[in-house]
Amino acid sequence: MSGADAVRTEALSKRYRRDTALRAVSLRVPETAIYVLAGANGAGKSTVMKVLMNLERADEGTAEVLGMDSVRCGPQARAQMGYVPEDARHPYGWMSSSQLLAHIAAYHRSWDVSYADRLRRTFELRLDRKVGTLSKGEARRLQLILALAHRPAVLLLDEPTDGLDPVVRSRTLAVLAEHLADGPTSVLVATHQIHEFETLADYVGILRDGSLIAQLSRDELPNVVGRYRVEVPEGWTATRELRSAGVRGNPVREAEWTLVGHRGDLIDRLTVTGALVHSVRPVSFDDAVVALIAHQVTP
Amino acid sequence: MMPATTGLTPRLRHVLAAQLRATGAALRGPAVVAGVSFALLTVLVLIERADNSARVIAFHPEHQVLPGLLGLLLPFGVWRGEAPFGRGVLWTLPVDRRTHALAKVFAGWAWLMALVTLLVCWLLALVVASDGQVLAEEVRRIAPTAATARSGSLGPDAAAFVHTSAQPLLWLVPFTASTGTYLFASALALGTRRPLAWVSGVVGGTLLLVTLAEAANADDLLRQIDGGLKALFYGRYGVDTLLTARTESLQGSATLSNGDTVVVWSALPDLTQWAVATAIWIAAGLASLWAAAFRHREARPSSRWSARFLAGKDAVGRQSQQGIRLNGRKVEQ
Repeated sequence: MSGADAVRTEALSKRYRRDTALRAVSLRVPETAIYVLAGANGAGKSTVMKVLMNLERADEGTAEVLGMDSVRCGPQARAQMGYVPEDARHPYGWMSSSQLLAHIAAYHRSWDVSYADRLRRTFELRLDRKVGTLSKGEARRLQLILALAHRPAVLLLDEPTDGLDPVVRSRTLAVLAEHLADGPTSVLVATHQIHEFETLADYVGILRDGSLIAQLSRDELPNVVGRYRVEVPEGWTATRELRSAGVRGNPVREAEWTLVGHRGDLIDRLTVTGALVHSVRPVSFDDAVVALIAHQVTP
Repeated sequence: MMPATTGLTPRLRHVLAAQLRATGAALRGPAVVAGVSFALLTVLVLIERADNSARVIAFHPEHQVLPGLLGLLLPFGVWRGEAPFGRGVLWTLPVDRRTHALAKVFAGWAWLMALVTLLVCWLLALVVASDGQVLAEEVRRIAPTAATARSGSLGPDAAAFVHTSAQPLLWLVPFTASTGTYLFASALALGTRRPLAWVSGVVGGTLLLVTLAEAANADDLLRQIDGGLKALFYGRYGVDTLLTARTESLQGSATLSNGDTVVVWSALPDLTQWAVATAIWIAAGLASLWAAAFRHREARPSSRWSARFLAGKDAVGRQSQQGIRLNGRKVEQ
């Protein structure tokens, strides 16, 4: 692998009986980058993370973390990773939070006790309570401490803010930002709350039905998704390609659409059909990702 | 700042210590219940002793089936909260999966040995409290043949009396018996998705086979099943030899011609037989456990069926890769 990739998968495929979870997914998370993995429920986001943790075995393809194969060097790769799973509840419900922290700390030689304590205070987590009695939000906060306190080089966050109230959610994002500023950390985050990572994200990948249909840097996003103001002649109808890019309805004179595709290609296609593009405005990160999820990307 | 120790896997002794603590925490609830039960039992024994002060309790930990039962049930407490084929906390930690599973089994075994030691000490305390002697010589009534012992009645001269001295080596039976059952139960808990379904299936299947054989009057088959089960449980190297050094199957009660009921032995426990049976069962348990842990190794294969199915769907894969290549170029720009 190139030295610049913290996480790299090559043609990763995974099936559960007759359901395809991943289809030849080749994903790259450059070192120190924050990569948002987006997609509808069941698109395969969690499966990618499980394969990276070697919790699930891929049927085909490879997964690497910091150049280490997630299967052949599983323990070494996991030592470099902090993982927040999709399910907020921790199975060791009989342990107290302090016992669980001590238990996980024993496995990480880089565990930072003072940092763990600082995180605990920031998240206002009571350590004497049994893990099984924690609310979903509290359990999620505990998982975040477990993932961050050994200061891993790679963070795998599966819906990290799910179940958190707005105040804690904003505090969590602040903690994450502070954590990332404190040391070189690469992050792969699967989330439906795209707007939460708008200021942090460097890259975005879109999974649909197990296929990685788009993978691009934040800088590239405005060139691929934009808000097009278009004037069309009377009786104008969109071509199939334009419809797949996001053109909707049969406008009479003017219309505005959020379209997915290379700007130059789209302008050419619109012009060929007689439409006149007045302006192309950038859309928010959130809207761009939603548009990518919703529309079929064409070469 | 990233610490210099980032990415280092833990030392094995730290993993073992962590598993000992975690397993201890998981077993704390059942241990408290067991402790209260034994406290009540102690009170009952002491009350009974006060009523019948002439009764002396002999020290025979090898007669106890409880350690074997404890070994059978303990793995379900040890693996509490873990789903070896699902979301296992164990697998998310930076330790080789197979080593980690075996470390957990070892931690459970260490607690098991501690519990069995407590049990043996409790028995010893009862013996001492009843003025019994631990190393006292005993007199045993031996029937001339096993058939005589099983008949349930004895003539006045049908049994010989044998003076036996204590065999301290047999005090190891609770430890070896619980180890043997613990290894098999751990292999079941670790190596199968639904251990209870497997146990129910084997028991139910055997019962069904017996019922069908009876319905079809298949006497040969019935004899074979009966012989097989007897060999498994009460044979020279059977389960009973592992659990009690055959002290359960070798002794029975018989009614004398004067109406008294006495304990009669068909033979005395054979230490060599017990040692061989223990070695066989523990070796088989270790092999089963190794096979169960092997299922969870890091480089375990995925479903071959899935791989074959995917191979037939390469057209879909190619289509996906085209899209990725297009966008992958952008990342590298």
